[in-house]
Amino acid sequence: MNIEELHNRVESGIASVKTIEDLKGFKLVLLGRKGLFAEYLDGLKSLNKEERKDFGREINSLKSETEGRLKGLEDHFAEEERKREQERSWIDITMPGKIPLTGRKHPITQTFDEIIRIFSSLGFSVAEGPEVETEHYNFEALNIPKDHPARDMQDTFYIEPGIVLRTHTSPMQIRVMESQLPPVRVIVPGAVYRCDHDVSHTPMFHQVEGLLVDKGVRFSDLKGILTVFIHEMFGPDTPVRFRPSYFPFTEPSAEIDIGCVICAGDGCRLCKETGWLEILGSGMVHPQVLRGVGYDPEEVSGFAFGMGVERIAMLRFGIDDIRQFYYHDTRFLSQF
Amino acid sequence: MRIPFEWLKEFVVIEMEPHELAARLTMRGFEVESVEEVESAFDGVVVGTIAEIEKHPKADKLSLCKVDIGREILSIVCGAKNISPGDRVPVATVGARLSENFLIEKRPVRGIDSFGMLCSEKELGLSNDHSGIFILPEDFVIGSMLAHAPGIRDVVFDISVPPNRGDCLSVYGVAREVASILKQKAKLPIFRLDDGQENIKDYLSLEIHHIGACPRYVLRMIKDISIVSSPFWMRNRIMKCGMRPINSVVDVTNYVMLELGQPLHSFDYERLRGKRIEVRLTEGNDRFRTLDGQDRDLDKGDILICDGEGPVAIAGIMGGENSEISVHTKAVALESAFFNPLFIRKTARRLGIRSEASLRFEKGIDVDNVDFAAERAIFLMNAISGGTVIKGKQEIHERAEKKTISVSFARINEVIGTPIEQQEVVEALRSIDIFVIAALEGNISLSIPLFRHDIVEYMDVIEEVTRIYGFDHIPPTMPVVTVQPQKKGLKDIFTRKTKDYLISAGFSELINFSFSSLKDNENFLIPPSDERTSCVTIMNPLSKDYGIMRTMVAPGILKNVAYNINRGSKNMRFFEMGKVFISNGHGLPEEYPTLCFIMTGKEREYFWREKATDYDFFDIKGVLEGLMGQFGLDFTLMRSEEPFLNRSRAGDILVGGVKAGWIGELKDEVLEAYEIEQKCYCTELRFDIIMAKGNLKVQFQQIPRYPQAVRDFSFYADDAVPVSTLIEEIKMVSPLIQHVGVFDMFKKETRSIALRVIFQSFEDTLKDETVNGLQEIIITKLANIKGVTLRT
Repeated sequence: MNIEELHNRVESGIASVKTIEDLKGFKLVLLGRKGLFAEYLDGLKSLNKEERKDFGREINSLKSETEGRLKGLEDHFAEEERKREQERSWIDITMPGKIPLTGRKHPITQTFDEIIRIFSSLGFSVAEGPEVETEHYNFEALNIPKDHPARDMQDTFYIEPGIVLRTHTSPMQIRVMESQLPPVRVIVPGAVYRCDHDVSHTPMFHQVEGLLVDKGVRFSDLKGILTVFIHEMFGPDTPVRFRPSYFPFTEPSAEIDIGCVICAGDGCRLCKETGWLEILGSGMVHPQVLRGVGYDPEEVSGFAFGMGVERIAMLRFGIDDIRQFYYHDTRFLSQF
Repeated sequence: MRIPFEWLKEFVVIEMEPHELAARLTMRGFEVESVEEVESAFDGVVVGTIAEIEKHPKADKLSLCKVDIGREILSIVCGAKNISPGDRVPVATVGARLSENFLIEKRPVRGIDSFGMLCSEKELGLSNDHSGIFILPEDFVIGSMLAHAPGIRDVVFDISVPPNRGDCLSVYGVAREVASILKQKAKLPIFRLDDGQENIKDYLSLEIHHIGACPRYVLRMIKDISIVSSPFWMRNRIMKCGMRPINSVVDVTNYVMLELGQPLHSFDYERLRGKRIEVRLTEGNDRFRTLDGQDRDLDKGDILICDGEGPVAIAGIMGGENSEISVHTKAVALESAFFNPLFIRKTARRLGIRSEASLRFEKGIDVDNVDFAAERAIFLMNAISGGTVIKGKQEIHERAEKKTISVSFARINEVIGTPIEQQEVVEALRSIDIFVIAALEGNISLSIPLFRHDIVEYMDVIEEVTRIYGFDHIPPTMPVVTVQPQKKGLKDIFTRKTKDYLISAGFSELINFSFSSLKDNENFLIPPSDERTSCVTIMNPLSKDYGIMRTMVAPGILKNVAYNINRGSKNMRFFEMGKVFISNGHGLPEEYPTLCFIMTGKEREYFWREKATDYDFFDIKGVLEGLMGQFGLDFTLMRSEEPFLNRSRAGDILVGGVKAGWIGELKDEVLEAYEIEQKCYCTELRFDIIMAKGNLKVQFQQIPRYPQAVRDFSFYADDAVPVSTLIEEIKMVSPLIQHVGVFDMFKKETRSIALRVIFQSFEDTLKDETVNGLQEIIITKLANIKGVTLRT
C-alpha cells in the first residue's frame, strides 16, 4: 500500500484548489463515498491484521489532517465571499435620511408647562375656570365696583349686561376661595380677553394666576416665592426688582421687574431705556376680598400674583411681535 | 401725568439728577415711564432783537429784517407778519440744526441772501404754534443762547400715577411725594391777593340744593379784565404738561389745575343770568349744549351748575357754550368746588367725556385746597389779564372730618415680615402727612389727610409704610404653610397625554382666538336648527370676524391651513385643544373643552426612496384609533349627517353609544370658502366626553406562554357588508380568536377582502385539529352572510 502516493495526491490536489467550486470537487474526490480515502481504507481489507492496524492508523491520521486543512480552506473562501457580498451591498451613506415626522407644542403651551412645573414643585395645585364670567367675579368680588376708576384699566368685552369675557384669571381667586377653606395654594392658567389688537396686544391672551392663603403669610413671603419662581424661570442670576403698584384686589401691591434680557440693564428699546422689564403683578390679598369670601383677614392672610404668558414666552424665545403666536406659520411653529 | 422738572423744583429743593429722582419715584410706586429732554437741539439758536424791517424788493409776502444778535447784525429774510422792530425773537444762525434734516445755511431767498432764520414755537419744537414768529419775553438777554433762557431747557417726567392716587395728578401732588423721598416738606406757592372795594355779594348769590353732591363750593370774581395771550412761561408749562394754551383766563384755570390738582371753571359773568349760581341735581331728562358745541342728554342725578334761568355747566365735567369765556369777556366768575366723585364718575361715564377736570373729580380732590386754588387763580388772572378783584367770596362748606385709623406696630411688622422700628414707622407716615394722634402700648391712632381718599383701613396704612420703607429693604422669606397634598387635575393628565400623543404623531399645536364669526357657521353650512348656532355674541366686538365665541374649533384651523398654503407650505398636521361656547340663552354659557385635528397634503413633499402619497381618510382614522387606545376607549363610526362633511368619506364618532364628535373629509365647498384647494381630513371631539369615558388606569395582561396560530381568509363582500361586520362575526366564533386584521382589500366588481386571524390559547399549545375546526366554522359562518362568498 503506497501511502506516499496518497500523501502526494492530497498535496497536489490541495495546491490546485483555487475556488470554492474546486474545493467542493476535490473534497468529493478525496473524501466522498467513492473517494480516495474510501478507496485506500477499502484496500485495507486485503492486508493482514498487523499491517491493517499500522496502515489504518496512518490513513486515518492523514484523513483527519486533510479534513482540517480543507475546513480551513472552506472558511477562507467563505470569508472571501462575505467580503465580496459586503462590497456588493454598498450604499451612499451621504444620501439624506428619513426624519420621523413629529409635531411641536405651541410655545405658549411650553411656557405654561414650565410655569406650572415650577409652581407644582412649590406645592401649588392647578385649577381652571370659565372664560365667560360674571361681572361679579370679574370685578365686584375683586374690589372693583361699578364706575371704579380701575375698570378703565381694562377694556372689557361684554356678552350681556352682567356677563363679560374675563379680563384676567383673577376671578378664579374668588371661585377657589368660595369653594374651600384655607389653606389655599393654587395656580390658574387660562385664556383672558381684552379689546386691544396691535404689535403688543392681542384680544385674547393667556395668564397664570396664583394664590396662597394661610395663617401668617407675609409680604416678605410673596417676595420669597416669586423670587424663586423668577430664578427658576429666567436663571439664577436674573436681577429681580419689586416695586409698589396698584391693584384693587391686593394691598400692598407690587409690580415685579426683571433685568432686561436684551441689554442687561444698560437700557434698550425693549425695556424702554429703563433696564427693567415688567413681568408679574402681585400683592397681598386685599382684606375686602378676604371678607367677601368669608375669610377673616385677622386670622389668615395671603398673596396673589398674575403674569402674562405671551410676555414671558416672548422674552424666553426672543419673539418681538405678540401676533406671531397666532398666525401659526409652520416656519414659526417648527422652531419650538 | 407729565411733570416738568423745573416746575417741580418750585415746591421742593431737588439736588438730585432727574434720572435718579425718576428711579426713586418709580420705586415709590410712581412709575416714571419716560424722562424726556425738552428739545435740546437749540445749539446755534440765540436771542435777537429786530432792528429794522423792510419789504423784500422782489416778493410782496416776504420782508427783509436786520436782526441784532449782540455780536453782529444779521440780514434775514422772513415771511411772518407778527414781528415789529424791538421784538425779541429766536434766531437760528447759520450752522444751527433744528432737526435731523433741518440745517440752517446761508442761502438766497428770491435773490437776497438770508443769514439765518427767525423761528416759530413749532420750529423750535416748543409747541404746535406756527402762526408766527415766537416773540420772546423782554427779559431774555440779547445775544444769549436760547437754550440757557429760563424755562426753555427742561426735563419732563411722564409719570404713571396709580388710579387710586388722584392726589398726585398735579405738580404739587407729585412734589409732596418727592418731598417725602427727600425728607422735606413741599411748599405751596406764596402770593398776596389785592382785593378791590366791591363786595361779591353785590354781584352773585350762591345756593347748593344737594350738599351730598357738592359739599364745598367757592365763587370768586374779577372784572374789567382784557383777554390776552398768556405769558410764555405759563404757556410753556401748560404745553409741557401736554395741554394747549388758549387765552389768559382759560390758561390760568388749567395752570392752577396742573399746579394744585384743583379743577376750576370760569364763567363769563356778563352772560350769567339773574346774578346767581345754583348747584342742583337734574330731575328729569334735559338737553344742554356744552362748550365744545355738542348737545348732551342729561339724566336724573347729574350735577348741574345753573344761573338764574337754567344750566350753565355740567358740574365737574364741562362748561356750557352759553357762559363760555370769549375774547370779549370782561368779568369772570370763578368756580372752585369739590363734587362727589360717585356723581361725576357716573355722569362722565354715561356721557363718554374724559376731561382733565372730570378725571380729577372722579378720583376725589383735596377739599382743603378748594379755597386756596380759587385765590391762586384770581391772583394769576389779575396779574396777567389786569382788572379789579372783587372782594371776598361766596362759599358753601360742609366740613369734612379727617379719618382716624388705628393699627399696632406688631401688626405692621407681621404683615410685612420685617422688624421696622416704631420710630421709623412714625417718621415714614409723618413724611406723607399721616400723624399719630394717640399712642398706647404699641397701638397708634392716625389721622389721615383729606386728600388721601384711598386710605380707609389699616391695611392701606401698612401699604404706605411698606412703600416708604422700600420694597428693596424687605427680605425675601419662604412662607411657613400647612403641608397639603397637591390636588391632581384629571383634566391636566388627559390633556397632557393627548398633546404628547399627537405631537409624537406629527401634529403641531395651534392656539387660535376663541372668537369666530357667523360667516364661519355659514361656511360650514350649519343649519339654523343646529345647537352650534346658539352663539355667545359679543356686544362690543373688535370686528365682525371676531363677533361671536366659537362653537367649533375647525373653522379657525382651516384659516391657519389657508394661511400656510398661501405661503408655500402644503403639507400639514395640526391640532388644537380649546373651548367651544354654546349659549344658554342668557347667563353663563356652556364651555366645552374640544379637540380638533387635521391632516392635509401628504406626510412629506418627497423622499428619494419612495413615492409620497396624499393623506386619506384612513390616515386620520388611524390617528384617532391610536388616541382612543391611549385612554382604553373603543369607538364606532356611524354614518354622519354633519353638513360640512363628504358623507361617503366621513362618520360620527360614538363612544359608549354617545356621539363624541365627527371625523372625515371636509366638503369641497366648505374648503372653497376658505380658499383651500386640497383635501382636508379633520376630526373634532368633545373632550369632556372623552375624559368622562376614558380610562387612565393601566392593567398588566399576562403574556401568553404558548405559540399562536395564524390563518388567512379571503372573501368577496358586497359594499353593503362593511368589513366591521366580518370582523365582529369572526370574533364571535371563539374566545381563542385574539385578533382579526385586514391585510388586503381590492375591488374589481365586488370587493375582495383578505383577513388574518390569530388564534391564541393561554392554557396550551393549540392543536392543528382545533384551529382547523374553527377555520371551518368561520368559513361557514361568513359564507352564510348575504353578499359574502369565500374566495377560492
